[in-house]
Amino acid sequence: MGVTESMRRLWVITSLTLRYLLGTRRVIAMLFLSAIPFILALALAAARVTAFNSDLFQVLMIPLFLQVVLIFVTLVNATTLIREEIDDNTLPYLLTRPISKPAVVMYKYIGYLVAVLVLLVPPIVLAYGVTEAYQGTGLTSDLDVLGGFLVTTVIGSAAYGAVFLFISVIFRKPLAVGLLFGFVWESIVGSIPGDVPKLSLIHYLKSVLKGMIAIGPMTTYRSDISAETALLTLVGFSAALIVLTMMVFQQMEFRQKA
Amino acid sequence: MTAVAEAAGVSKWYGEVLGLNAFTASFGTGITGLVGPNGAGKSTLFKLLIGQLHANQGTLRLFGENPWNNVPLMRRLGYCPEHNQLYGWLTGQRFVEALLRLDGMSTKKASTAATAALKVVGLSGAAHRPTRTYSRGMRQRAKLAQALAHDPDVLILDEPLSRSDPMARFQILRTISEFAKDGGHVIMSTHVLYEVERITQNIVLIHNGKAIASGDIHAIRALIDEHPHAVRIETSHPRQLAQALARMDHVVSLEVPSEDTLLIRTRKPDAFYKELPGIVADTRLDVRALESPDDSLEAVFRYLVG
Repeated sequence: MGVTESMRRLWVITSLTLRYLLGTRRVIAMLFLSAIPFILALALAAARVTAFNSDLFQVLMIPLFLQVVLIFVTLVNATTLIREEIDDNTLPYLLTRPISKPAVVMYKYIGYLVAVLVLLVPPIVLAYGVTEAYQGTGLTSDLDVLGGFLVTTVIGSAAYGAVFLFISVIFRKPLAVGLLFGFVWESIVGSIPGDVPKLSLIHYLKSVLKGMIAIGPMTTYRSDISAETALLTLVGFSAALIVLTMMVFQQMEFRQKA
Repeated sequence: MTAVAEAAGVSKWYGEVLGLNAFTASFGTGITGLVGPNGAGKSTLFKLLIGQLHANQGTLRLFGENPWNNVPLMRRLGYCPEHNQLYGWLTGQRFVEALLRLDGMSTKKASTAATAALKVVGLSGAAHRPTRTYSRGMRQRAKLAQALAHDPDVLILDEPLSRSDPMARFQILRTISEFAKDGGHVIMSTHVLYEVERITQNIVLIHNGKAIASGDIHAIRALIDEHPHAVRIETSHPRQLAQALARMDHVVSLEVPSEDTLLIRTRKPDAFYKELPGIVADTRLDVRALESPDDSLEAVFRYLVG
């Protein structure tokens, strides 16, 4: 199988995935949810909140963006990635072409990553811009903060996406299971003292932020993991879970829905 | 090559539900109709043939290969699913093109092949409309176009005529016939029996997950002789007519399902149709209509599945 043919398949499946994820009415809700950081920053600036600066930005964005917006957007998009094609009966069109099931998973996952980053990156950049403009220190004075949030957005999307995609091929109703993982497991396990938070993804995301941001509230976050280790752990975790999803999907049977 | 697809003792169950039950049949070259009622196991068999299901028991081969997760084999088949869902936002042209690109075709080649396939199924005029605006018949034709656009060796068509308008049916049947004439093989399922008969003499009858008969339609028709032939007669005096017909020794049963209908079953349809006019004339009973539910392939199917 040539590289050119693989690229064509990647392009087709990624395009179909992007259209699935960004071309339905659901995207309106996703856009609104993703825009919350930007809307909040605008509101704080408009209200002329004196404490509104880069530190407050971090204090607000960690629980709001990383623990709500990121999880919810990745949950909705990753769980519909394959499940929606199964439910819509469009999957046979892909699977009766000379393309392996693992490749379908991989290409769809790439499409998912593009879609969620299109949704999540602009609002966080704009929110940062508003914060920096409001505190009047110039757009480049806290680039470590912006860099930290962009890196955690990318790697968080990859890691949560891998989890939710895996859940979606295992469970018929993946949204409920994903909600439990994203908002119950991650919140509870991530807040227990000791080594328990290492069982949550949010701990590694916060560790990345702690390592990347020089000054601010994240510097006091309790973690003995370096940003590099946390990043590698999340990358490895995502890759392993995607491979596992491919293996499960390879053995999955598709009975036509009535 | 004698068989395109072969199934030997194939069973497939979904939990406690049996989809196929020791199904054994051979699908030869040309067009073969897989005939059976809803729930007979036709779609299950097709899902097994296209490698989307894995048989619990038995052996299934398509061109001598196991289709389960057989990616290279997909190049040789074109599949038309039963359901009518398409990627509704794509135009017919883009829909077929996108799937052709999954075959590894370049944009230009895919575009040319998609245009040609849509022309073959008579959808050129609607090629640039989103498929969500298509009628059922147009959707069926779009599905057929994507199935044959990459010039496969075999078409596996799950109820390709289902819910189609007469124009679409005509176009689909013509396309299938021409594909077979050009050396392609077709395995199509349907319960619109008379239309199967119009394009092929080869059928496999499936019921409750089992192949109950297969082969040339004439051979299967011979089985009819072992079964009574039903004739429904519309008359205002069904009981009196029944009395008169009862003296025919080949009549097996007589029923009066309604006040103006007589249903008879005979072992010798030819003799029955020959003798009936005389009896009607002798008894001076009016016969408004004669209808045989056994006039087509439907009869074979009904007899065999009881």
